[in-house]
Amino acid sequence: MTQDMQIENYLTILRLHLGPLTIGEREEIVLEIGAHIRDSAEEPGASIASVLARLGPAEKIAAQYRDGLLIRRASRSFSPLVLLRGTLRLATKGFFGILVFFLGLFGYVVGGCLLLTAFIKPILPANTGLWFDGNGHMMSSGVLFPPPGSSAHEVLGFWYIPIALAVGSLSLLFTTWAIRTALRISQRWQSRL
Amino acid sequence: MANTRSAPADGDQPDRWEAQLRKGALEMAALACLWNGRLYGLEIIRFLERHSRLVLAEGTIYPILNRLKAEGMLASEWVEAEAGHPRKYYSLTGAGRERLRLMAGAWVSFSQGLSQLLEPVLDTKETPQ
Repeated sequence: MTQDMQIENYLTILRLHLGPLTIGEREEIVLEIGAHIRDSAEEPGASIASVLARLGPAEKIAAQYRDGLLIRRASRSFSPLVLLRGTLRLATKGFFGILVFFLGLFGYVVGGCLLLTAFIKPILPANTGLWFDGNGHMMSSGVLFPPPGSSAHEVLGFWYIPIALAVGSLSLLFTTWAIRTALRISQRWQSRL
Repeated sequence: MANTRSAPADGDQPDRWEAQLRKGALEMAALACLWNGRLYGLEIIRFLERHSRLVLAEGTIYPILNRLKAEGMLASEWVEAEAGHPRKYYSLTGAGRERLRLMAGAWVSFSQGLSQLLEPVLDTKETPQ
């Protein structure tokens, strides 16, 4: 294989693995890495094989670019799906990512369920609410089939709707803020990932 | 058997820790290379090799430069070179200079504190009983 073919093979693999980036970004990266290879090969005692070995596998470089892009996009997004996708990628990198992913998932599930129950309350008022037992201990909340027995009493009535809407919205907002903050912090650590 | 297997793993711990430390300092080091002017990727790598002990897989530096640029810490421009292909030069932005100043201050303060703490460890040849 000629030297040019070795370089082209390497750059082709790199280009293929840069899929999610725009064509412009991809070509700029390929051009830059190509320039690095050619400049390095002109150094005394260098060969294309040694230059490529020092660069590391093209797939690994591409993965670092992709991770950076995914986490950067997610840290600027408000979409729960994009944010959770970013945290899922982060979760593959270590304990901090796993923690952020599960806390984020928990926050969105709690917030989403509270909002959902607020909309269900007018349709199933007897099954939806916040129940306490005779001793003042909370028994259950949400939508229950069948509703708790006579030993429990529902304490909020239709106040459940604004309270569930407020707490659910706050939960979603706080989770979004927390994930975006965690992703921004993780960007500082990205060189370690 | 268990001991013979675990011994090398324990011996690897300081190496792995040192590798993490080096990688963690890479962003600051990459910014510091550009303090006196613009450089392209290979020049940054060679600068790091000459002025620090940050030996790295050369491909690692480019995604970091890309991210620092996306964060507004670096600016870049393509310059035609005599080598026959253009080179992408990086330079610090105002925000990059400010971040580097903050990082350098934190690093020096942190390392001075640790150095004081570690001084007796380095002075002692034997572990105290």
